[in-house]
Amino acid sequence: MSAMSQSRGTKVAVPSNLYTAVLAVAFAVVLATASFVAFMCFTRYETIFGMP
Amino acid sequence: MSTLTKVLIVLLSVFSLFLCGVVVTYVANAENYKDLYDRQRRDIQTARNNQDDAENALAECKEAAEKTQQTLEQQISDMTINVSNLQAQLEDLKRQNDQLVQRVATSAATVTMTSETQKTVLEQAQAAQARVRDLEDEQTRLESDLKETNRLLLEKIAIIEDLQTKNKQLAQANQELETGVNQYLQQRGQVAAVPRPVTPTPGIALPATPPTRQIDLNGRIVRVDNQLAEISIGSAAGVRPNMTFHVTRGAQFICNLEILDGGVDTDSAVGVLKLVQGTEPRPGDTVKTNL
Repeated sequence: MSAMSQSRGTKVAVPSNLYTAVLAVAFAVVLATASFVAFMCFTRYETIFGMP
Repeated sequence: MSTLTKVLIVLLSVFSLFLCGVVVTYVANAENYKDLYDRQRRDIQTARNNQDDAENALAECKEAAEKTQQTLEQQISDMTINVSNLQAQLEDLKRQNDQLVQRVATSAATVTMTSETQKTVLEQAQAAQARVRDLEDEQTRLESDLKETNRLLLEKIAIIEDLQTKNKQLAQANQELETGVNQYLQQRGQVAAVPRPVTPTPGIALPATPPTRQIDLNGRIVRVDNQLAEISIGSAAGVRPNMTFHVTRGAQFICNLEILDGGVDTDSAVGVLKLVQGTEPRPGDTVKTNL
């Protein structure tokens, strides 16, 4: 969806990076959560995926 | 970017945040199961060790209990034997006690009989002393009578001597007269006859013998105490004081028994032993008045 296409068809709108930021924040949160869970698993059980 | 994409982005972000929060909260608050497992495993191992120790201690306690039981059974058997011995000793002591009580009772009866006998003997001694005093008085009186009799006898002897002198003189005179008469009669061929007294010569008066009969009493000796003995017959059978019995055992003569004054009861009598021949009389011997 480029500026050219927008100018040909419908109304041209300024692209917003708000949802990108929201996705980035969500991704960061998920990544932090996964890291936290992996850290806790390794700390407590000395392994991440296997059985202790 | 469509609206639906935006909505999905927002929803995805919101739910991601919510899910991450829930996961973090759960993981942060979840228990450490590995530590819990290790702790439980150590506890189980400790419990097994404790079980082994307890089983060993139980075995040792059982062994000690068996030894103690054997020791106690041995002690019980020893105690049972001791109890039996003590019961036997107790029976012996009871029997000895009964014998001693019986001996004490016999001794008390003997003492009582001895006291009564002593009292009787004292009374008899007092009676004998009174009798001795009476005999002494009678002896004194008899001595005075004897002196008087002696004096009279001396007087009679003197008279008899005078009469004998006179008799000799008369006999001599009679001899002379007889000689003269014979000489006178011989001249006439006669002899003087032997003179015969007109009255017979009186003899000595003898007491008539009283008629006698055999008493023939038989009895048994009941008790013997020193020189005293009690017999089984008394005044009811004809026993009298100062009566003499002969004590025999079978055909053997033992001694004599003289009944005391005051020693005669209705069915018994007490006397003094005399002429003991070496064998002491005892209860059951026969007493007779005639052998």
